Amino acid sequence: MELIFLPLILGIIAFFIPTKWVRPFGLVASIGVLAVSIVHLIGFDPTNYVLILNPAETFPLGLTFKMGYDGLGLTMVLLTNAIISIIFLANLNREIAQSPKFTGLTLLMQFALLGLFTSLDGILFYTFWELTLIPIFLILYWFGKQDNNRALFKFFLYTLLGSLMMLLSFIALAYFSPNYSYFNLVQADFHGKAFEAALIMSGILFAFAVKIPLFPFHTWQAPTYTNAPMAGTMLLSALMLKMALFGMIKWMIPIGFEGLVYLKWPVITLGGIGIVYGAVIAMKQKDLKTLFAYASISHLGLIAAGIMLFSLSAIEASMIQIINHSIVAIALFLAAGIIEERLQTRNIEDLGGLAKIAPHFGFWFAVMTFISVSVPFTAGFIGEFVLIKELFSAHWVIGITAATTLVFGAVYMLRAYQGSMFGPTKVTSFQDLRWNEYLVFAILTVAAVGIGLYPQIIMDFIKPSITFTQELMSGDLTLTK
Amino acid sequence: MDALIIIFITGLLGLFVGMLKKSYVTLAVISTGLIGGFISMFFLNDYKSIFSAYNGLSFSPTQQMFALLAIGLTLLAVWLGYAYYKEDEEHTADYYGLILFSLTGAICLIGFSNMFMFFLGLEILSIPIYVLVGIQKGNSLASEASVKYFFTGSFATAIMLFGIALVYGATGSFEMKEIQMAIDMGMSQSPMLNIGVLMMMAAFLFKVGAVPFHFWGPDVYQGSSNAVMAYMASVVKLAALYAFVHLFNHTFQSLTPFVSGLVLFAIVISLFLGYLSALKQTSFRRMMAYSSIANTGFALFAVLNQQFGEVSLWVFLIGYACSTIALITINMVVEKETDELTNWKGIGYANPFIGITLVVSLLSMSGIPPFTGFFGKYLLLSSAFANHLTFVILAIIASLIGAYLYLRLMVLSLSREGEGKKLSMTKLQSFVLVLSLFGTLGGWLALLIK
Repeated sequence: MELIFLPLILGIIAFFIPTKWVRPFGLVASIGVLAVSIVHLIGFDPTNYVLILNPAETFPLGLTFKMGYDGLGLTMVLLTNAIISIIFLANLNREIAQSPKFTGLTLLMQFALLGLFTSLDGILFYTFWELTLIPIFLILYWFGKQDNNRALFKFFLYTLLGSLMMLLSFIALAYFSPNYSYFNLVQADFHGKAFEAALIMSGILFAFAVKIPLFPFHTWQAPTYTNAPMAGTMLLSALMLKMALFGMIKWMIPIGFEGLVYLKWPVITLGGIGIVYGAVIAMKQKDLKTLFAYASISHLGLIAAGIMLFSLSAIEASMIQIINHSIVAIALFLAAGIIEERLQTRNIEDLGGLAKIAPHFGFWFAVMTFISVSVPFTAGFIGEFVLIKELFSAHWVIGITAATTLVFGAVYMLRAYQGSMFGPTKVTSFQDLRWNEYLVFAILTVAAVGIGLYPQIIMDFIKPSITFTQELMSGDLTLTK
Repeated sequence: MDALIIIFITGLLGLFVGMLKKSYVTLAVISTGLIGGFISMFFLNDYKSIFSAYNGLSFSPTQQMFALLAIGLTLLAVWLGYAYYKEDEEHTADYYGLILFSLTGAICLIGFSNMFMFFLGLEILSIPIYVLVGIQKGNSLASEASVKYFFTGSFATAIMLFGIALVYGATGSFEMKEIQMAIDMGMSQSPMLNIGVLMMMAAFLFKVGAVPFHFWGPDVYQGSSNAVMAYMASVVKLAALYAFVHLFNHTFQSLTPFVSGLVLFAIVISLFLGYLSALKQTSFRRMMAYSSIANTGFALFAVLNQQFGEVSLWVFLIGYACSTIALITINMVVEKETDELTNWKGIGYANPFIGITLVVSLLSMSGIPPFTGFFGKYLLLSSAFANHLTFVILAIIASLIGAYLYLRLMVLSLSREGEGKKLSMTKLQSFVLVLSLFGTLGGWLALLIK
């Protein structure tokens, strides 16, 4: 219980403490929450569900208020807590960390995310899903660029439309399941009703597709990213998008598994289009943040396509890739943020020769560029390699399309790096990395390389959850486990 | 029954105490009476009332819940208006007396068990409101609103009475149970009954303020004082909606196939017309009026749901009424000479407490969990899902428009720039805000108890 509610309490406290304490408070609080989740990790057996809230009765509306986690959930919980700590660390020297509003809202966001990753009740999941929207909206509104209302409204209403479609699906699910408990939803009886299952699934999918974003639903992303403050972009790309991918693995596919036949190839196709489309657009961008935003569409298209295969190794690879994308997103948006803060511009054409003036920054940015183009021995290599292999064995066309991400990724990332770091020096002065930025890059590199060298640590965690879910879907297991 | 009498006597007592021309004394008497009424309504079934022989009124647990909600919301409206009424010490008691009399009507309208009591409740509810709207004598808008409301309202009442007469003619009784029995016995095809029910429905649509009988809404909201507006938007709407739902879900339940098309039409038109017109408003009161029309559209889904309609309506109304009261309280503080929305710029950023209340209220109105507004809409829509899927989808699209409307106000008042300045509130107003905040945050928890 404390795992979920600690950030809520800390977040509320953050609004009331004196302003001069806010800066260290955010970091300490988030590290504290991380420590709590590591305590949960110790002695955790991935083959088991840990229920942290398990009322015996069913409440009106079919609410069950079940909460708990398996290996999948705990991985996401740890990822969330680690990323939030890193976001606080990365922003430590900035003006934004001084604000109680930012600190409080980020911790509230953490609460909502943790709730989402541990909820085992459909309506609870929906509630937390919507709840994440409120803090991020306020962060973007208060700390983003002025006059960004248009982009913000688009973001909010688009995601709200998606959520409402998901709500419709959940309402419809009530006709197939006695209550909203995850275990009952997964066993929802769709025999001979594959089309209904696909319809229900597509409502949920719509919400996820907007958030990921899949190809035709991505239009909110670039303007929102460019107007957002650095911390907001990090929260959005490193954590909020992962909610949707997690939801696909844990909720959408297991619940509507019978309908997967209808949706599998459309989504994989959209993912494939996204891979190429995002990459091609990214190659043309001059603004670093927009470039990374489109790169993100490309990467996530691959993950979404892989998840739709729903084979064990594809899911494992997707999870590795989810973690890897969080690492890369934090690093790249930090780099863009550093450049923007020091030079008030993100345009590649105005930059150049930064590596000469700021060698440390040049080095770490290069390391992160390599991680993001998935060179061997990094997490991305394992993830992308397995995903492409799996997609290839599904169909060779999608396999080849997915494989282009390796080439395209190298093109736009190296172009961005070269344009900003090498070439003629157009900038007179550039302050090199501060200690906290140094630390962030170092931690992220260690994490990426660590997972790249020993991916088994993640896979061992995920595997029992997936097999458990698969057994649950076939109805082999009793719910007491 | 006892609650009804306590409230009525308190209203009378308030008028006499008003002669002291000390508004705080009046407030104390009125509040005590309302709390007393609340308590006696709460423990309704725990003791034998001396009036138990009378069967014109009866309170099932659901009706009790509605009556409690009505009394609670009146209490909020009374407290919220105090800052305004105390400036006019000579007439404070008039306002309060009238509001309490109107509440008496509302409780009759919730607990009625025959047509006579129903009509009596409707009139007792409405007549004080006609006066309350026009009580600001110097204000020409108020006079206009009052006259307009009175004429259209009495016309609607006449239609209602005609409808009741036709229903009586067809079924031969005023008692709800007997009417229902007559209809169930095969009367449902009778043209006389159908015309009567249609007329009653038209009058109901007027009373709850649904399209196509909504024209009085914006003008009346604009002309009345904040407290009266809060009372109308919460208690009057609650009582009228409950009577509507109760009548059509129980007494006229065999006629559901006959009325459902019309109700669905009213729902969709109310939702879209309400929200789309609200988008165009520059005045807060008119915006609230149109938003209340749209919310009525949502509430009318309860008419189509015989099983859970009343409970869903109850949860929905907690969310709606609490957020509306919170917003009107804030409007009372913000309002200067005009109620232009531009006055709201930056107030939420400069005043954190108002900001939090505002955000929670507006998000609850937009139907975002975990606030009560969401659970209300969810209950209403999920029960209509099986039979009226198209309309549920239309309602969801409309609620997206609504979300845009509320989001715009939220963004405006949370703006960093602009003349966001510290606003001063009285303690009572802050208390009302806190209470309505509790309602919007945790009102849905009541679902878990029952």
